[in-house]
Amino acid sequence: MQTILELNNIHKAFGEKRIHQGINFSLHKGESLGLLGGSGTGKSVLLRTIIGLERADSGDVLYHNKVISKIKSEVELAKIRTQISYSFQSGALFDSLNVFDNIAYPLFEHTKLNFKEIQHKVADVLKLIDLEGIESLMPSDLSGGMQKRVGMARAMVLDPEIILYDEPTAGLDPANIENVIDLMLKLKKMGQSSILVTHDIPSAIRFCDRILILKDGKIYFNGTVPEFTESSDPNILKFSLPQGKEATHAS
Amino acid sequence: MKEITKSIDGPETRAIVDRLYEVGRLVFFFATILKCTFSRPFYFMRLVDQVRALGLGSLSITVVIGLTMGLVMTLNFGYGLVKFGGVLYVPAVVSLSLAREMAPIFTSLLVAGRIGSGMAAEIGSMNVTQQVDAIRALGTNPIRILVVPRFWSAVISLPLLTSLSCFLGILGGMIVCQNEFGMPAGFYINKVLDTVKIHDFLSGLVKSGIFGAIIAIVGCWRGLSTVGGTRGVGESTTWVVVTSSIAILITDFFISKIFLLIWGH
Repeated sequence: MQTILELNNIHKAFGEKRIHQGINFSLHKGESLGLLGGSGTGKSVLLRTIIGLERADSGDVLYHNKVISKIKSEVELAKIRTQISYSFQSGALFDSLNVFDNIAYPLFEHTKLNFKEIQHKVADVLKLIDLEGIESLMPSDLSGGMQKRVGMARAMVLDPEIILYDEPTAGLDPANIENVIDLMLKLKKMGQSSILVTHDIPSAIRFCDRILILKDGKIYFNGTVPEFTESSDPNILKFSLPQGKEATHAS
Repeated sequence: MKEITKSIDGPETRAIVDRLYEVGRLVFFFATILKCTFSRPFYFMRLVDQVRALGLGSLSITVVIGLTMGLVMTLNFGYGLVKFGGVLYVPAVVSLSLAREMAPIFTSLLVAGRIGSGMAAEIGSMNVTQQVDAIRALGTNPIRILVVPRFWSAVISLPLLTSLSCFLGILGGMIVCQNEFGMPAGFYINKVLDTVKIHDFLSGLVKSGIFGAIIAIVGCWRGLSTVGGTRGVGESTTWVVVTSSIAILITDFFISKIFLLIWGH
């Protein structure tokens, strides 16, 4: 399988707190990785480091064998960010723009499409996320789940090669979680690679091909979903077992 | 020796170093704004929107402050000078102080309260809700999109607002002179035109342009460095109003001195 993204020995600290202490992993074409770990272990920081919103103290992020973590040129960074997109936990929609302008924003910035073509593209993307006809609504008019899906639509509108999902199901009711994961699976079927940061284990098991567990600043576990669910390591069981069953299993 | 080392390494020294570091970051921020201004992509329509929001939005406050300044200053100077038989000098005193100092300073201070805090609040809220990160993640530059249009709209709008404020102040002075001291309007206007030279007016305009730049730099910079949720946004807006007001008053002294050196008294 072709490796498209590689993290080599990533170190990151905020003051005295060392978040990452040598993170290594790679993402293959068409693959979906699930990144799990306790709160504050630096999962989101890792996603932000990949896309360049945070700079690693040392180590490299390689995209198609090219080091992207040290790029300083605005134009080069913009190119990378059209290929690797980030779906924020809160959606991070621009609250002064309506849904159409939010989704069309990357199209206006990075393509030469005319207004009519952009309208068609936005309508197509809204159809894909099952939210047709909401172009004129403002983000404040949308529910939390809808905001997340519109945020995902904005992240995928340029057809990036990789999408980084930061807790897409956090704070959603079961029906909305289902909708969001269905959408992510649709994109996966279309060939998109992705990294999913989540605490929602059932969704991770349903969506991911491989699971990584971040612990003490390092990748503690890197294996397939069956390897993850069948592991007897207590540190992995904390994540893989439904709540309440961990104690039974231990006894 | 230990005492000296302790005092050099003490909290006061660190506070000074932190302040200097902050000033350095502001200078670097200003340099980045200029760099982004003169390189592609340009966001002209965002500039137009900002001029509309900041400039036109500040019209009412400018009308009130301009007219009030003229009315109050003329009333006080008039009754003060009447005791010494100097009421004829009121148009000169009022118009000169308005053109050189009062209009740029008062308009800028009020606009700093309105648009400086607005910039910090708007950009600060975007920052704490990850919208600024989203601008970056979508391959665009928040300085170009959020800061450059606000910077230039403040630099363009403030001199225009100051001109209006100055004109209305002089008009207010004329109304008071006519009604309180029986001075004919024609005489008042002639005195104003005799006294206020083009460089007096220009110095006020240049000052207000610089004050506009200060307000925008301080407001946007603080907005982009806002952390800590809604409380952080509140702290940023207060900080911006206080800091930009102090910066305006200090800068005013130095610019006035420079203009006096260039054009004489």
